[in-house]
Amino acid sequence: MQLTLKNILPTYFEQGRKQNSGIWGKDLHFSNGDLIKIVAPSGTGKTSLIHFLYRMRIDFEGSIFYDNKPLKHFSNEEIANLRRNQLSVVLQDMRLFGEQTLFQNLEIKRQLNPFHPPEKIAEMAERLGIATRLNAPAKNCSYGEQQRAVIIRALLQPFDFLLMDEPFSHLDEANARKAMELIMEEVQLRRAGVIFAELERVDFFPATQFIHL
Amino acid sequence: MSLSYKPIQPLLQTSGNASSRWFSYIGLGVGVLLLLCSVQMFVNIQKLLKEGSIRKDGHDYVSITKIITNETMGQPEKNLFHEPDIEDVKKQPFIEGVSPLISNDFRVKLSAGNMLPFSTDMFLESLDNAFIDTIPPNFQWQPGQQEIPLILSSDFLEIYNVFAPGQGLPQVSKETAMGIPVQITCYGRAFEENQFSGRIVAFSDRVNSVLVPKSFLLWANEQFGNKTTLQASRLFLKLKDANDPQLIQYLDAKGYKINRDKTLLGRNKIILQAIFSGLGVFGILVVILALMLFSFYLQLVIARSKESLQLLLTLGYSPRWLSKNVSGKFIPVYVFIVLAALGCTQIIQWAFHRFVMFGRPELSSFVHWLVLLIAVSLIALSATVNYRMVKGLLNKLY
Repeated sequence: MQLTLKNILPTYFEQGRKQNSGIWGKDLHFSNGDLIKIVAPSGTGKTSLIHFLYRMRIDFEGSIFYDNKPLKHFSNEEIANLRRNQLSVVLQDMRLFGEQTLFQNLEIKRQLNPFHPPEKIAEMAERLGIATRLNAPAKNCSYGEQQRAVIIRALLQPFDFLLMDEPFSHLDEANARKAMELIMEEVQLRRAGVIFAELERVDFFPATQFIHL
Repeated sequence: MSLSYKPIQPLLQTSGNASSRWFSYIGLGVGVLLLLCSVQMFVNIQKLLKEGSIRKDGHDYVSITKIITNETMGQPEKNLFHEPDIEDVKKQPFIEGVSPLISNDFRVKLSAGNMLPFSTDMFLESLDNAFIDTIPPNFQWQPGQQEIPLILSSDFLEIYNVFAPGQGLPQVSKETAMGIPVQITCYGRAFEENQFSGRIVAFSDRVNSVLVPKSFLLWANEQFGNKTTLQASRLFLKLKDANDPQLIQYLDAKGYKINRDKTLLGRNKIILQAIFSGLGVFGILVVILALMLFSFYLQLVIARSKESLQLLLTLGYSPRWLSKNVSGKFIPVYVFIVLAALGCTQIIQWAFHRFVMFGRPELSSFVHWLVLLIAVSLIALSATVNYRMVKGLLNKLY
């Protein structure tokens, strides 16, 4: 899948932001296999960018295209299709169903478009060290546990691009490395691209391209 | 896609505000019952009041006159039907045919010749043959023909037989009456006498008159009469249904009166239909209110579950699939309510037919297909309304 950004800027940013940014106001083109690391200090619009790309917000100027189709022209039904088949996301604020167990949360996502069988949930949880927490309601889990569940959730569906917004903010380096390892396996399995937005350089992400926001 | 709604269902907060949901269910049940019963009764009335009038070829025949009031009494012009009146009557969709009763415009005397010492001033009328119930083949007249065939109202013979003994006259049977030759004397413009012989060829139960062939009366009015335009004191109407409320309203509005009121049933029909229309409209209102109440309940469910629904959409659940499943969850309840109301309607109809109408053959113990159709449409309507509303609300969550 082709992802194209054309001169985008959040409507709530001043035009001057375009000058020093590798993304705002630029024309960029990404495709499957690209591993993009976006390094962005706080307040530079990292979360905004991920939300724009996932069409959770549309308050930006310029255009985003998926396979040459402007994202703004997608119907709600087409957006649902895109999120189900081609675009996966790890959001910074996690968003789990608090009353449901981690397993239920994962199964709700998995059944939508099963890329893996249900057994894969336990296997992945085991690798990331949350297997014993699968039957606990999400609201009773720590941020670190929730974050690992959210990462697994993003890997249960097919995708061409994986969007990640500070996916390891609540994890220590050892757990973050394990998570990254799993993510890269799954990305390679799908020959997908990654857009990974993080505060600092994370040296264990094999980026093909660095961009400063 | 074997997508299951089961894990999604607990995410919707449907438990709160159960009372408004139950009120809307009850309201819907009552409203649907009222509506279905009204429609069924409407059908019953139509069926019951179609019977009981004199029919020829499945039509009703009635004659109408203008109502003679104190104001119009001295002015025959106002009590006659003129050409525009007749045209207007013809235009009405519920009137299939109109024939004016043309009457003689000259003096006519009738006597029984030598056989009975009976003589009277008389009137003659004529009507299109299609409107007469008994037409023998010899009911014809050509200029120059001396004998005029007559069709007499059966009532007239009865009246004669009632007063004949008191006058010293013999009572006669229909057959005898048809054998008696009568003398018809027409007086011309200069009071000259023109003699014809007449013979009764048939009796009519429908037309209250002395009928002669139209060709004779047109000829005689031209020969002996004074007027040139067509005027009639009576109109004969061919109707689909003499009890049609539209007809009665039209006649009342025009100030026309039907002879021998065959429309009495029709007047009751108007009242009954009005009552059941009122009930039906009330039923529709209750159904609408119940659907609205339920839609408020659904809106509340969606507002309370907004975060979960939003997350489902973020995860990639299709708004169409979600709307179908969220609103579809209530369809079995709707089907149950409408079927329960339909069942009650069926019981009421059966009891009405059995105990109120004593099994009259024109009615059925089963509900009319129209009632079934309405029940099915109501289920479809409520499902569609709910689906569209949920989808609209979900699309706002993007």
